[in-house]
Amino acid sequence: MSNTIFKKLGLLFLVLVLSVVMAACSEDETTSTDADTNTDNGSANTDSEESSGLSGEITVWAHPYTDGSTGEGDMWKTFASDFEAETGVKVNFEQIPWANRDQKILTALAAGQGPDVFYVIPDQMPQYAEQQLILDISQYVTDEDLSGFVPTAIEATSWKGKQYGMPILQTAESLIYNKDILTELGVDENSLPTTWDEFKALAEKAKAAGYYAFSYAGGGSLNNTLYPFLWQAGGNVIDEENNILINKPEAVKSFELINEMYTKGWIPQDSITALDHDSLYFGGKLLAVNGSGISVNRLLAEKPFEFVIAPPLKDAEQLTYGTVGMFVGSAISKNPEAAAEFMKYITNTDNQRTFNNITQYIPTRDEAKDIFDSQQYMAQLAGYTEYAKPGVIHPEGRNIMPLVQAEIQAMLEGKQSPQEAADKAADAIDKVINK
Amino acid sequence: MTSTTSKQSLSARIKRELNKNLLVYVVLVPVIIHFLIFQIYPFALSFYLTFHDWKIIGDPEFVGLKHWKSLFDDEIAWKAIWNTVKFSIYYIVPTMALGLILAVIINSGVKFSGFFKGLFFLPVVTSFVIIAGIWGWLFRGTEDGFINYLIGFVGINPQLFLSSSSQALLVLAGLSIFKVAGTTMIYYYAGLQSIDRQLYEAARIDGASPWKIFWKVTFPMLKPIHFYVAITTTIGSFQIFDSAFLLTNGGPNYSTTTIVYYLYHQGFTSLNLSYAAVLSYVLFFIILIISLIQRKYIGKDPNYY
Repeated sequence: MSNTIFKKLGLLFLVLVLSVVMAACSEDETTSTDADTNTDNGSANTDSEESSGLSGEITVWAHPYTDGSTGEGDMWKTFASDFEAETGVKVNFEQIPWANRDQKILTALAAGQGPDVFYVIPDQMPQYAEQQLILDISQYVTDEDLSGFVPTAIEATSWKGKQYGMPILQTAESLIYNKDILTELGVDENSLPTTWDEFKALAEKAKAAGYYAFSYAGGGSLNNTLYPFLWQAGGNVIDEENNILINKPEAVKSFELINEMYTKGWIPQDSITALDHDSLYFGGKLLAVNGSGISVNRLLAEKPFEFVIAPPLKDAEQLTYGTVGMFVGSAISKNPEAAAEFMKYITNTDNQRTFNNITQYIPTRDEAKDIFDSQQYMAQLAGYTEYAKPGVIHPEGRNIMPLVQAEIQAMLEGKQSPQEAADKAADAIDKVINK
Repeated sequence: MTSTTSKQSLSARIKRELNKNLLVYVVLVPVIIHFLIFQIYPFALSFYLTFHDWKIIGDPEFVGLKHWKSLFDDEIAWKAIWNTVKFSIYYIVPTMALGLILAVIINSGVKFSGFFKGLFFLPVVTSFVIIAGIWGWLFRGTEDGFINYLIGFVGINPQLFLSSSSQALLVLAGLSIFKVAGTTMIYYYAGLQSIDRQLYEAARIDGASPWKIFWKVTFPMLKPIHFYVAITTTIGSFQIFDSAFLLTNGGPNYSTTTIVYYLYHQGFTSLNLSYAAVLSYVLFFIILIISLIQRKYIGKDPNYY
């Protein structure tokens, strides 16, 4: 009796397992059938397929570029449906949170899945390119496709002469001053510092009046802390031939400046590991920050004080940090041609106007910058992209960052001099790039 | 002949045993399949990866002991191991002690014990990100940070807290203790509830003071709970990651870089997946050794049940 029950249970279990397996298989079949149906059915799609020569589907991963309240979702829906109508390629759009984005993308790629098109920034791009994770789209992109882009944006999306991404947005950081503090200090907003020495004099004045002069998030990216000063001083981290330049005299000047700012109290005491100083800035305790469009739009929305934007500082050179956001194709994409076409499509002039108008980033096509014609501050920042460098463009660019950061932190803790910090950073970089 | 008979009887016994427990085995199959796919397979795969270079896409390339050897030259890895050990020292005993104290409070019949139970457990169910945000605000290293504001009243100078190599790890340990003590409290509370009341009555009749009752009755009777909590808090302490990731980014100067933080960085920022696998095995061996030591000295006690 009991044996019969067990046999029945065993059979039931087997049926269940088989059902799950069959359901999984049939799901795949259904998906592909749906995809086929999507591309095969409907005269519009057939026509567009014939004209574009493309077919199938692609999956696109992008991040939330706004707080979600400005029609960003509708924008992607429109992009997807218009592209679908134009080419016959079905676009599956997925929004991925910024948090742990590397982890999500790499895990998906390792599993042989994931997106055909995804978003990266320039210091990820060469690393992904060297690991052959992203698609070399040179074969799909003509010179005409690349004309009209800001040259720095094209530089930031290519590596070793190959085009890996299509740039959609840019930022340019510049000094945003609290006008109330300037008034209190008796400083004319039309004669703001343009050089390090002028800024140091103003910083001393701000400190004496009980304010911090500047923000320094020492626990964050060096793109926003050391590098702008390092470039302004005429220095660099490494060059294209892997020569280490971070402990050369010009570069050490930036270490000295940061050390001076900390020891003199121009930047807050927690600058060693702080991840941001927004609360101090919006609370009116900081004279200036290196801010981008995000800061401007927040200041305009919250109106904590009047502000004024000044051009990036200059020591030996006038430079600042600005990222370039780009879409890249996955190296394991089964539809690379369609992926490349989609990247070209969303970065065309009209779509850049739409994207950057909604997200309030700076377009990477000169022609599309007209969206800021009536926006004083964004137009001003857009004008500074010519000074913006997108970080250390090197496969080890992101790996060397924590090594340098640790030495700066030790310097700010008073454990070593700026020269010692720069020398140790150089040794650490050497171990990474010459391993 | 005898051997054949015993073989037959063994196979008959196995068959009988299988038949008797067939339902149990059937029910266990999905769990075993899940365990094999999501525990054993990744465990074995990561061990395989430690001997290979793997670029995420494509086949791994055999490199022998290269990644294991690089561990010995990697100063940051050793620093991360030492930081994790230090973190455990700061974390394990206080977490256990605080959990026990809170459990004793809510078990003592104090008024509104249900309210206190909820209050003490609240950090456990609150998102780590939110708690880390509050902690970051409390321990902000500027003079307007809340703790700095408070200690200013008793004449202590503002401290750097998260920006100090000597203090940051302690602050992170404090955060983890705060987050986890509620869970430990629940384990101890369950243990306290299971102690035979007659033991307390006998001790009281013998004239033992409450303090003596605690040390001579309650504390020893909680031995299995001590063992369980010691194991779980040890494992938890060696896996510490979130607080360093959210509050200090491993700084200043690597003072809060823990094994898992470094492992994450190697795996997902540097894309050195094989080396990250080596680090995960280092973590595994450390936890294994400590668990075996704890089992030898606490778990084998005859009072363990």
